[in-house]
Amino acid sequence: MPVAMSKIVKEESTDDQRYHIFNKEFLPHIDSMYNFAFRLTMDEDDAHDLVQDTYLKAFRFISSFEQGTNAKAWLFRILKNSFINDYRKRSKEPAKVDYQEIETTYNSEEGGEVQQTVDLRAHTVQDMIGDEVANALNSLPVDFRTVIIICDIEGFTYEEMAKILDIPIGTVRSRLHRARNLLKEKLKNYATSMGYDT
Amino acid sequence: MMSNSSVDAANKAGIKTSCENHEKCMRMIQAILDGEATEEEKNHFRDNMDVCMPCINEYHLVKCIKESLCNRLERKTCPENLINTIKLKLDLL
Repeated sequence: MPVAMSKIVKEESTDDQRYHIFNKEFLPHIDSMYNFAFRLTMDEDDAHDLVQDTYLKAFRFISSFEQGTNAKAWLFRILKNSFINDYRKRSKEPAKVDYQEIETTYNSEEGGEVQQTVDLRAHTVQDMIGDEVANALNSLPVDFRTVIIICDIEGFTYEEMAKILDIPIGTVRSRLHRARNLLKEKLKNYATSMGYDT
Repeated sequence: MMSNSSVDAANKAGIKTSCENHEKCMRMIQAILDGEATEEEKNHFRDNMDVCMPCINEYHLVKCIKESLCNRLERKTCPENLINTIKLKLDLL
């Protein structure tokens, strides 16, 4: 969005103007925000608190939002940062993966022509029900889960994902690639355990 | 894993049954399906994707996973009481 076409919400905006922006540009995304929060925390109460905190922060810092730019991406970024700073520390998820370490390892493997092919067929995935796909997604480490959610479920572009996650586009591509390979492995394991023909 | 009969059929049709650049191809396929491919990647895809069985399979697999995630996962609706609570708390800021 060119600067000339966007408009920063001025500090001296009236309450009516701020409420108008909040209701018109922020609230329409609340279902997506709630789903994102739930898929990050995997807990309805935590999702509830996370969405509430995010919207209150968005209102408090509404002066830094540029009208006409992507409000959904801006809100997702706030929610993701709130999750990292406030919720992840007390998350019920027991084991955390150092994704930076994985990416470093993964990228270092690129030069070695290591192939990460998972022997899984499309028709096997087609046979699965939504809950089975959701379980595989939920079993991914949160950073890999996040890139898949914002790309495949929410439909953000790589550029928007880079802004939401505060990482370069090249890292978005790598992390997404790695996340999808992990998801394929989870789906493959799940399909095998359930007796699907893989 | 392709069955022997599938390999024979692919060979007869002139389709490759192994891909020497599969890691690179997987990244390109990802970009194609995400709508983020460069013109060069799109051209390469158009010229080569119907002659390499591992890449054809990968394309259909990733496409299917993307569609499953997009269409088959439950989408929750934000509880009305949460929306009301947020609006009430705004008035207190």
